[in-house]
Amino acid sequence: MEATNAELYRLALTDAPYVIAAYGILWISFVAYVTMTLRRVMRLEKAVVVLEESLERREA
Amino acid sequence: MADEILRRTPPAERTKVPGLSLRQYKAILRKDIVMELRTKEMVTSMGLYSLLTMVVYQIALSQSGSAFDPRTIAGGLLWLAFIFTSMLGLNRSLVHEKDQGCLEALLLSPVDRPVIYFAKASGNLIFLLIVETLTIPVFALMFLQQGGYGGSWWMIPLVLFAGSVGIAGVGTLLATMSVNTSGKDFVLTVLMVPLMYPLLLAAVSATSAAVLGGDGSISQFWSGIAGVAGYDAIMVLAAYALYEFVIGA
Amino acid sequence: MKQLRIAIILLLIGGLLTTTAFFMAFFTAEVQQFGTVTVASELDTAFQLVSVGDNGFSYGRPWFSQKIFYFHVPVAEASFLVLLLSAVFAVRFLMTRKRSFDTKSRIAMETSLVFVILTMITGVLWTRASWGVWWEWEPRLTTYFIMMLMMIAYFVLRNSIEDEERRAVYGAAFAVLAAINAPISFMITRVLESNHPVVFQSGMASSNLLPFIVAQVGMLMVGYAVYALRMSEERLGERIDAAKEALEG
Repeated sequence: MEATNAELYRLALTDAPYVIAAYGILWISFVAYVTMTLRRVMRLEKAVVVLEESLERREA
Repeated sequence: MADEILRRTPPAERTKVPGLSLRQYKAILRKDIVMELRTKEMVTSMGLYSLLTMVVYQIALSQSGSAFDPRTIAGGLLWLAFIFTSMLGLNRSLVHEKDQGCLEALLLSPVDRPVIYFAKASGNLIFLLIVETLTIPVFALMFLQQGGYGGSWWMIPLVLFAGSVGIAGVGTLLATMSVNTSGKDFVLTVLMVPLMYPLLLAAVSATSAAVLGGDGSISQFWSGIAGVAGYDAIMVLAAYALYEFVIGA
Repeated sequence: MKQLRIAIILLLIGGLLTTTAFFMAFFTAEVQQFGTVTVASELDTAFQLVSVGDNGFSYGRPWFSQKIFYFHVPVAEASFLVLLLSAVFAVRFLMTRKRSFDTKSRIAMETSLVFVILTMITGVLWTRASWGVWWEWEPRLTTYFIMMLMMIAYFVLRNSIEDEERRAVYGAAFAVLAAINAPISFMITRVLESNHPVVFQSGMASSNLLPFIVAQVGMLMVGYAVYALRMSEERLGERIDAAKEALEG
């Protein structure tokens, strides 16, 4: 294949959007999934503390 | 006869009666066949369904032109018809058992669970084979007139039997699960198609080799059969092992 | 909660390792080449040109999309391991009938599904960049797609059953079937030719192997951390339900 300088650059960079998209989706999904789970865990922990305290108060 | 023996034998001694499992197996299988002979519901509905599939195939191929040879995709078309027909039949057979309280009665009776599994699977296998035998000539007549059949005559029956064993064996377990869900036939489809993927791929490969014939078709046929047989052995064993848990739940 | 603390620590270490691997993949790993491009005359360019005699100059095209490999494969392997974990828990549930094993099996399946979906996305982008198509019916891709469908079917099955005991048993049975089916479909699709790159057959330069191993270890930690995190969420939910019941009763 005959190539000019611009074509060489284009060839080297055609894959770039896919690589960026792959890593972007991977990282964003992981961070989003873990953050969502962590937030739910935090909320549940607060609820557990409140509920178990009121349970103790009622038993006392 | 089997009932009498059952009634007279206390549970602890059941295993000592020789040939009892075989008699129980035959009794359950006979019950399914007698019921089918009386109503003719399963074979009629499955047969009609596969005929309708042929009509759909005609529509699908109507724009392909005369140059297109349907023989190249005949294996795929056949197994597509069989897998959907079998799901209809499996669902029906287990829905009947459940609606009429037959499954519960079977569970209350002192019959070993594996016997129930093999009897139900054999019944489904027989009905599936009947429908396949009825479908094949119609399919050949409608789609395979030009070009003819390339392999030996025993190839198609062999692959049909091997494939149907897997469909009936795994399908019986899956249908037993799906009749107890709120989704019923939809759940059966969702569970069945991905699990059947390896079997169908190998069976279609073997069937295509049988229909087309030519160089290398024999080795392709046998590797397809080997795939189907391996799938049958592993998956039917797994289904048999899991059936006891599933039916008890 | 001990498990929550372990999960967060593992998550931090795993995140650190995978981030390190990410930078290593782009800065220290050797750039792989994907074919060559020839140029008639010497160009004023930043690329390394090699003279090939009368035919002008050749230039090794950098294989940029190969960089996806460093994360695609670790994520895929983590998904397999977590699926295996889920099947092991399913078997243990069927043996012991302890509810905690059912929860573990379900959470492992859910974690695995997250990893499978991420593998699919990175894989499709790889396919597009390296092979020029978005999807190819190629053994590994097909097997993986079937595996994803089975995992989705697992959750469809569970969601359509009301009774808790039955839901657990059916789910466990299907998890075992799915785990057996995945290698079978892989074997069967292997019979056909594949064009999925098999990296380890040809061996890799150590500068490429190192970021891969770091990513692999990190990803396994992240996988276990996600599983443990979801488990501690489940346990908290159970505690809340118990406390609510005690308050009402």
